[in-house]
Amino acid sequence: MAGVLKTAPAGNGAPAGAAAGIVRPVLLRAGGAAAVLWGAATATFVLLRAMPGGTADVLLARSTVSPEIRARLIADYRLDDGLGTQYLAYLGRLARGDFGDSHVLRRPVTEVLAAQVPHTFALLGTTIAVTIGASLLLAVVSARAGRLVRGAFAAVEALLVAVPPFWLGLVLLTAFSFTLPLFPAVGSSAPSGLVLPTLALAAGPVALVTGVLREGMLRALEEPFVLTARTRGIGETAVHVRHVLRHALLPAAGVLGWVGGTLLGGAVIIEIVFSRQGVGRLVLSSVQNKDLPVVVAVVLLSALVFVLFSVLVDVLTWLADPRTRQEAP
Amino acid sequence: MRTSRRWRTAAGAAAALALVTGCSGGPKETGTGGGQPRDGGVLTLALEKEPECLDPHQTPTQSGRLLARPILDSLVHQDVQGGLHPWLATAWTVADDGLKYTFTLRDGVTFTDGTTFDAAAVVANLDHVVDPETKSLLAASLISAYAKAEAVDARTVAVTLREPDSGFLAALASPNLGIHSPATLKGAPSDLCAKIVGSGPFRSEGGFVPQQGITYTRNPAYAWAPEDAAYRGPARLDGVEVRIVPDDPARAGALTSGQVDAVTALPPTEVRALKGDAAFQVHSVLYPGANYSYWPNTAEGPLSDVRVRKALRAGVDWDRIVQNVFFGVYSGAEGVLSKTTPGFDPSVGPSYAHDPAAAARLLDEAGWTGRDAQGYRTKDGVRLKLRHLWSEPSVETLAVQVQAAAKDLGIELVEENLDGGTFVERLLAGDYELIDTSFSAPGPDVLRVLFGAANIPTPERGISNNMARYDDADVEADFTLALRATDPAERLEVYQRIQQRITEDAAVLPIYSPQSSLAVRTGVQGVSFSIDGTPDLTAIWLES
Repeated sequence: MAGVLKTAPAGNGAPAGAAAGIVRPVLLRAGGAAAVLWGAATATFVLLRAMPGGTADVLLARSTVSPEIRARLIADYRLDDGLGTQYLAYLGRLARGDFGDSHVLRRPVTEVLAAQVPHTFALLGTTIAVTIGASLLLAVVSARAGRLVRGAFAAVEALLVAVPPFWLGLVLLTAFSFTLPLFPAVGSSAPSGLVLPTLALAAGPVALVTGVLREGMLRALEEPFVLTARTRGIGETAVHVRHVLRHALLPAAGVLGWVGGTLLGGAVIIEIVFSRQGVGRLVLSSVQNKDLPVVVAVVLLSALVFVLFSVLVDVLTWLADPRTRQEAP
Repeated sequence: MRTSRRWRTAAGAAAALALVTGCSGGPKETGTGGGQPRDGGVLTLALEKEPECLDPHQTPTQSGRLLARPILDSLVHQDVQGGLHPWLATAWTVADDGLKYTFTLRDGVTFTDGTTFDAAAVVANLDHVVDPETKSLLAASLISAYAKAEAVDARTVAVTLREPDSGFLAALASPNLGIHSPATLKGAPSDLCAKIVGSGPFRSEGGFVPQQGITYTRNPAYAWAPEDAAYRGPARLDGVEVRIVPDDPARAGALTSGQVDAVTALPPTEVRALKGDAAFQVHSVLYPGANYSYWPNTAEGPLSDVRVRKALRAGVDWDRIVQNVFFGVYSGAEGVLSKTTPGFDPSVGPSYAHDPAAAARLLDEAGWTGRDAQGYRTKDGVRLKLRHLWSEPSVETLAVQVQAAAKDLGIELVEENLDGGTFVERLLAGDYELIDTSFSAPGPDVLRVLFGAANIPTPERGISNNMARYDDADVEADFTLALRATDPAERLEVYQRIQQRITEDAAVLPIYSPQSSLAVRTGVQGVSFSIDGTPDLTAIWLES
């Protein structure tokens, strides 16, 4: 999880300094993103090379081919070059946005990915939206409730965090597709096909974020400013939503960023259980087949998602906590 | 012709394949009867696994054959007994030296893109299969003897082989050598991975969408089904919608909740749940080819001693283990080949009887007479230890039971569950005593793949399938004889002799016969399987 970068938004400092002030954090952020992507690309390269078994052998593991075809594959993918040469050539191609052709699918990786990315992003998008919406609602409701109800909330949250998403997915499928035919069981790109996968994937994050949010709210309720606000005669709901919630958002945003960065992993399982198209299933088969170009592209994509989420966290923090706006970079 | 359900996929299929139920039958049509066939309707099918590529010239997978077959016809057709019949070729002659095949082609066949099927199309297809640009992962090796094809005239093709290959016609019958419209062959191989055009009973406008599936529509002009087909008109179904549903419980649920009409490869637990439910039937057939077996390293280590191999074969009650692990629905193997493989020799069956006394005697004879503190046999102070490599978690239950049975014999089985890469490395180095796999193939030629000395995996050669590392001069000579045989009966005789020799040598420890299955809702009729064990979608019809 990238740290929270304190930014200096325009309008809060001196107008002249603001424009200059924004350049450095943006540059820092871009440089950080590039470093994350480079690190991810390098780690992928090293890991896949360090794995036992030659790439050519694994590529051909499901097949009966002549030595000529084997030689051709090795030449095509330059598997016989020195490791250094392979690495440099590989970085060069990535820098040009050329992810090469999939060894197994025999199509350009960009094309293969482009076909799957929208499906996965749709799932991730609804999951994030549900996580944010449901967590805010549940946290406010449970923070205002009595000790007993809060305990029940905490228990259910602990359960949901512990339940594996694939199991929850199967339970949801059995209940709402096989028994009550409300939603399709077999992967569907229609909105109704998104409901159960989103629930299965979002359950854990909602439980986690709600818990953190509520804890933050309960802590904030002890703070003197709450008393001040109450003495000014502000309604209890307004206290919770406008003052207390805002304080609790900071740690919750951090957790949300971390959850968002790891959601792609959960999507693999969910896409299989619900027979959904998507990057998750693609990466699973690519890793199994040691389809290096696809694996690299997906790793870079998840690094990008990770970076985007940390930016999102920064924005949320900036919105939630005025103090972060006032500090000069 | 061989398929490549090999170590990983094969072992996985071993446990994942569905089980036979009451209404299963032979490879022939196993529909439950129920009135006159009728036209119309769309069948929805959930498939457990998808090919990386739709073009069977490129992809080696079972699912690739299943998905390509409705679109692509072949020159010849092989029935489930292994007999060859006219299809796009109405007749053929083979030269005495076995090197030249001349085919007469059917007249009036058109591809669904409107082009005409002729000799040039056949030449273009065969050349496409062997073109290195195609990077064929199976089809090219099926016709490795192929030298060239020439269009003598529009209706005659002459194919020249480099060496005699009695399996050539059977290879042509495989969907892997299905005939594409030559117009599509001019495009990039990757385009064919998504969309193929043939002369078959179905066409697919949208083609194959990875992770989603494929939709077929009827080819109304179809009138050239194989000559041995029971029904030779256009497909009865209006279309078929195939969806990829990799999760077993989800596939079963999709069937039982009526969201699909048919599913492939239900695991044992799901089949048990369907049993007794009159609304569903499970059709299944034994895959032809090599049974799921343990392959002993005959070249090195304790199992290079035939007596130890025989002791392991006789000392473990393989049948009982199969009964236990698969609830009695898989049958134990009766030889290296499954019973539905053309050329299967039933006479080898008794050699696989359980005989622990004989096993103990053989181990004594082999010099493993000592015992260590744990009760394992030793020779010169060294424990009789066998390392069993596997990389497919689904075979674990079976492996554990075999391990326990071997322990009773005084043999330690060390189970090594490896990642794919390490597995390959150890396989190539011959660094193992046992490996497990099945290998489906529609004929006894699979024996050459599995026991031919040229197919021993080595670092230079790469992965190959003689994992027993078996090398026997007599068997090699017989392989050559079988390849040169011009009389099919003589060829099968040679393969039976090879099965006997391999049994004498205990060069394989067969365990059970994997099954291909299709579970359907009642009302789905005309289910049958092709010789390679894949369900035949073109024969299915739906009750109204």
